[in-house]
Amino acid sequence: MFLSNLVQKAQQYIDPAVLPGALSNANATKPSKSTLFQQQFHLPATQNPLYEITAELTLPTRKSGLSKSPSAKRQQQWGPNDWDKGADGKGTHYVGQLHLSEQFMCFSTVNTSFVSTASTSASSAFTGRTHGTGTAGNGFTLPLCAVRRVERLHTQSYMFALSITTWNGFDPGSDTKPGAPAPPKLTIQLEGSRQQCERFCDGLKRGLRQGIREVENMRAVAADCYSEYFMYSDFDATPPSTKPDGTPRTPPDTGLGSLFKYPGNSRKLRDRSKMRLWHEYMRENGRNTTLVRQPDFHRLIRVGLPNLLRGEMWELTSGSLYLRLQKPKLYAETLKKHEGEGSLAIDEIEKDLNRSLPEYAGFQSEEGIGRLRRVLTAYSWINAEVGYCQAMNIVVAALLIYLSENQAFYLLSILCDRLLPGYYSTTMYGTLLDQKVFESLVEKTMPVLWEHLSGNDVQLSVVSLPWFLSLYINSMPLIFAFRVLDVFFLEGPKVLFQVGLAILRVNGEELLDATDDGAFISVLKSYFARLGESAHPKSENPKHRAITNFQALMVVAFKEFDGITQQTISEQRSRHKAAVLENIESFAKRTSIRNLGPESKKLSTNDLGFLYDRFYTILYERQQRAQVLQAEEDRKRKASRLRATEIVTGVAGNSAPEMGRVGLGPSTTEMDYDAFREFLAGVAKWAVTDSPSSPTNPNDPSAHRGQNGYFHTLRARPSHPSSPWGRGPEPAEHEFLRRLFKRWDKEGKNSLTLQDVVAGLAPIKGGRDIMGNISYFFELYDDDNDGRVDREGILRISEALLFLSRRGVGGGGFVSPSPTSTGLSEHEDGKRRETKDEQFLSAVSAFIRRCFEYADPDHPSRQAEKEANSAAQQVDLMDLNEKDGPVTSDPLSGSSPSGSDAKDDSVLSRPSTNSFGQTQPQSKHAAANAALDPASPVHITLPTFRMLVLADETLESFFDSGFANSFHLADAPLPSSTITSPTFLSAAQQQHATAPPASIPALSPGGTSSGVVGGAGAGVVPPGKGLRGMLDNIVTDGMRVAAEVRRRMDEAQKELDKGASTRGIEDDDDDDGDEGGRDLLEGAEADAGVERKGESARSREQSLLDQPMVEEPRQERGKAKQEEVDAEMEKSTMFER
Amino acid sequence: MTDSTTASAPKPSSSVKLVLLGEAAVGKSSLVLRFVNNDFQPNKEPTIGAAFLTQKCQLPSRTIKFEIWDTAGQERFASLAPMYYRNAQSALVVYDITKPSSLVKAKHWVAELQRQASPGIVIALVGNKLDLCDDDSPEDDAQDGENVDGHEEEAVRKVSTAEAKAYADEESLLFYETSAKTGHNVSEVFTAIANAIPETSLKGPRGGAGGGTQAAISGGGGQDSSRVNLNARGDAGAKEGCAC
Ligand SMILES: Nc1nc2c(ncn2[C@@H]2O[C@H](COP(=O)(O)OP(=O)(O)OP(=O)(O)O)[C@@H](O)[C@H]2O)c(=O)[nH]1
Ligand SMILES: [Mg+2]
Repeated sequence: MFLSNLVQKAQQYIDPAVLPGALSNANATKPSKSTLFQQQFHLPATQNPLYEITAELTLPTRKSGLSKSPSAKRQQQWGPNDWDKGADGKGTHYVGQLHLSEQFMCFSTVNTSFVSTASTSASSAFTGRTHGTGTAGNGFTLPLCAVRRVERLHTQSYMFALSITTWNGFDPGSDTKPGAPAPPKLTIQLEGSRQQCERFCDGLKRGLRQGIREVENMRAVAADCYSEYFMYSDFDATPPSTKPDGTPRTPPDTGLGSLFKYPGNSRKLRDRSKMRLWHEYMRENGRNTTLVRQPDFHRLIRVGLPNLLRGEMWELTSGSLYLRLQKPKLYAETLKKHEGEGSLAIDEIEKDLNRSLPEYAGFQSEEGIGRLRRVLTAYSWINAEVGYCQAMNIVVAALLIYLSENQAFYLLSILCDRLLPGYYSTTMYGTLLDQKVFESLVEKTMPVLWEHLSGNDVQLSVVSLPWFLSLYINSMPLIFAFRVLDVFFLEGPKVLFQVGLAILRVNGEELLDATDDGAFISVLKSYFARLGESAHPKSENPKHRAITNFQALMVVAFKEFDGITQQTISEQRSRHKAAVLENIESFAKRTSIRNLGPESKKLSTNDLGFLYDRFYTILYERQQRAQVLQAEEDRKRKASRLRATEIVTGVAGNSAPEMGRVGLGPSTTEMDYDAFREFLAGVAKWAVTDSPSSPTNPNDPSAHRGQNGYFHTLRARPSHPSSPWGRGPEPAEHEFLRRLFKRWDKEGKNSLTLQDVVAGLAPIKGGRDIMGNISYFFELYDDDNDGRVDREGILRISEALLFLSRRGVGGGGFVSPSPTSTGLSEHEDGKRRETKDEQFLSAVSAFIRRCFEYADPDHPSRQAEKEANSAAQQVDLMDLNEKDGPVTSDPLSGSSPSGSDAKDDSVLSRPSTNSFGQTQPQSKHAAANAALDPASPVHITLPTFRMLVLADETLESFFDSGFANSFHLADAPLPSSTITSPTFLSAAQQQHATAPPASIPALSPGGTSSGVVGGAGAGVVPPGKGLRGMLDNIVTDGMRVAAEVRRRMDEAQKELDKGASTRGIEDDDDDDGDEGGRDLLEGAEADAGVERKGESARSREQSLLDQPMVEEPRQERGKAKQEEVDAEMEKSTMFER
Repeated sequence: MTDSTTASAPKPSSSVKLVLLGEAAVGKSSLVLRFVNNDFQPNKEPTIGAAFLTQKCQLPSRTIKFEIWDTAGQERFASLAPMYYRNAQSALVVYDITKPSSLVKAKHWVAELQRQASPGIVIALVGNKLDLCDDDSPEDDAQDGENVDGHEEEAVRKVSTAEAKAYADEESLLFYETSAKTGHNVSEVFTAIANAIPETSLKGPRGGAGGGTQAAISGGGGQDSSRVNLNARGDAGAKEGCAC
């Protein structure tokens, strides 16, 4: 599934808009030769041009032609030695290029070359004029499994000549045996050096061996083709329903039309004569997979396909048949896999089921509605990015009249992925782009009309958009829309333009009279209604009178606008692409920014614009880097699989994937943890790593994105795939980042949307509220949301503060530069920085001390309860503890006076009466140390935390502005002068310094916790002394304390290990006791989890890469086998099934 | 240019571009169909891109010819919207009173129009499908379209009049609750818009070839038999409906 998604994505990026020959657009990447090859022959994305050689194809002389009177005589058998009769002028000769891919052999008279040295014009020759033959020209597109036998003909000259017998998986009939006729033998003379010919033949042999595996698929695919049924007997408009031996034959599903009648009057459409002609053609030229394209094939399509063969020919000419051949079960499996599931797309589909071609009887029935539902749903599953777009319902409904639902599914894929790129995407950029292209073609080819339209402010695209979006199906009467489709599938998207231009041309005069949208639309509306009428009703000549408006339209479209080629379209597309995407993006951006939820109102529009850009830039850059890596891997893999000399074509590797854009339809809208880190590294210095693993660019322009204006739209930056982090600074990894990510990820889906990011940042950046920031920080560490942060949390908070400040954080501003800094605005005052840093360090040290000093022990009463509960076990535990010795090395607890106090040392038991009141009499130091003792669980509450922060000027300033300012958005902060604390705060600060401690509770919001603090505070603070004054006495040697923090954490870890070893006998109720340890454990698990996740992501990638490798051994085996076979193969027969 | 329905002295006539916006299946096309043809179709095809129709609205002092752009509601068609609301003098932003999400979407559209459309655009907020809630119209609507997502009984009002009205007042929008199905309030909305268009922003009928245009339009309208009902309401003048 994932792989096929990738393939699809890749296909989306292969936008024909950037076909070569297009005016060079710096950003446009040229499609690879493989892509071009696939486009010319309508092959699946798995096929690469491996070998090619100039060749001459000889076909037996046709016994009948459209021009001659049709004859129903069965064609004579063609002997293997007849081929050179062709050289005498018998038979039809085509000179062209023979190509070989992994699973196909293709011959085309449209000469193209896909070797690596081929010029772009040689590789894209098929995009020029094709004279009605489509890109593949005359020739064949033969799946190798359809080759039954290859013989090397003995020629008079040294030339290589092959005789190829094809089949459709069934034994052909003969004069004595009923069955469909054998497809013709193809005689191909290779024209190249002996070495070239031999290399080609070797490649062919290898492919043929592989092809054996697909014979079953081919049988299944062919059995769904009406031709297989139709050709079984001599021409009969209604083929016999039994075989000669009496066994019944059921015709394959040829769409709803066979149940509900095909649209139009089949007599008037001359369906029967068309069927007869096709019968003749296919008898001589093969059918479905083995069909050979000669000029009559294209002519037969131009005059309109007969009902029963229409679906099959659409499959064949569009190439959806080959997709079906590759994955014949995809449709059924997709439906089965998602049975019963729901999705947004499904809701949207449901809404429209009754609104699709409601006038056709088949769609007033459950049968028709059911098919429509299943095809649309299945496609929405295999291409979730597109999902469902209105208009697809109409297109699919139309297809279902002629195709089985299975066939329609593959054709829909080809339509969305290849023929109408980006039409139905979530931004519909393809639709908008082609409207621009259409307008510019009108301007070019009909300047007078164009002048008139723009002069009268008539917007052409408003009229023409539905023509393209629903392939004329709801603009023209159905029978005519289907004839446009006949040619469209054969010749490609340019047909839509040719027909559109012809419509305007034919109605030119009337349109010149129309002066507003309404009149303009009426003219066309009325014209469409008259398509079936005579184009020359007043003509004397009955032949002229018989020409319908539609026929006349086709003539104008394909004769007069013959010069509109696929190449023209591509050029125009690449010319307008940038403007169209920018339009879409600025629309998307302003809509998106407006709808980011109430939190977003806290940020300025500039900041939101900045975040928007930054967010999507990161996503797309990461996506692109992944693709480059993938492409690189692919290239390597290929190189190792094929011997260097065998790589005759420049397969892949020569084109970097284009970077995604919002305008292309947001393929990714969510940020994972790594992307989040990368995102942060671009907006905050502390998020940049200290030890980059790859060189960073100190002049990274991305750092200056702060200047982006609101309407600045995303623009592709050249990528630097060499570094895993691209061009930006390498992000740091820290527990704090993880906590932040978790907090922002409100729904716990392990990824962030833009809205999550905005909602996450808004309270920090937008609030400018110190209380808010303090609580925000506190909550980050309050894992279980109980309003307490335990010992472990306190240590982690301190660590985070040190982490955040390691590049300096100070005063009101965020001032310090750093060598690895991203180039954010810097102040050069190094000294000042140093002192600021030191200040911060000591502030954090002080903070830790105070934390432990003022920490509350866990609730006494609960403790007592637990103790009672666990009394039985405690004996054992004490034994154990005795054996292992005291867990902590704190000397103070060891010297506790009473025996019961000795228990305090044990991991699992705590003094039942330990409380602030009790510890208070002890020295401050002792209290602090006791609090540091991991054995006695403590916690701080938000009010305590708040008090401790506010007690320190440096920390206070950090929470007031430093933290917020450390995120640099569009409105880059100016030095401290711009940052003003809310006035109530400054007042409060002053109170701290002078007023009695009673003011402290006033700072905390009312509620249960504030009472606790009030009590504690009142108990602790000696009367008459300001809080700050008292705390100032505490040691401020930052480095030492930081080291202490480390030591304590290590100890806690040891504790944890210990806890783990005793876990077996632990009482569940004691979980409070080692909460810290648990936490740590969780932390450890989280670490491991992330690591593991990273690994699994990697291994997933690996397995992705491995996937094709899986085939390798098989191929090796194949090779080996082939060599065996080679040895015993008789000289003249190269291959035989 | 003469108007076929104005017998006496020709009133000044002017055209007004109106765009309809709103979530998919709230009934935009149905409102237009009701206004233009006085008709209702339960199985209305979704609008692809946009449909264009015109209809005249007679005011005591003048005739307004609405050039109506009915847009597609599916989210992804939103990026096409600027193409349609370009130069619009008025807009009808529609939501479905049984679907709260559609009001949210309507608010987005209002915001978009206020910032991006022509300044001074007259916007009407319209809560449609009033017939689905019994407190207002007791008509028997036993079988309503599939728009109700199959929950016939649950198809009650989910957006209160007061809430929507308050929002409309805040943003200075015209506000109506309508039913395309029964026709309730439909012509009132359009008349109110016509009245609200400032005299100064009115331009004459476009182009000089008035007579010719008229003829061409009538021809077109006649062809489109499924959408044009010539027996439309009496107060409406010549009309033409086209959907491309
Ligand atoms: N009960 C009821 N149903 C309505 C009303 N208006 C529209 N509907 C139904 O709602 C469905 C959608 O109506 P449309 O007019 O096509 O909606 P829309 O907004 O044009 O939809 P899109 O073109 O997809 O954007 C149809 O089935 C209508 O019959 C109404 O006033 N009352
Ligand atoms: Mg509609």
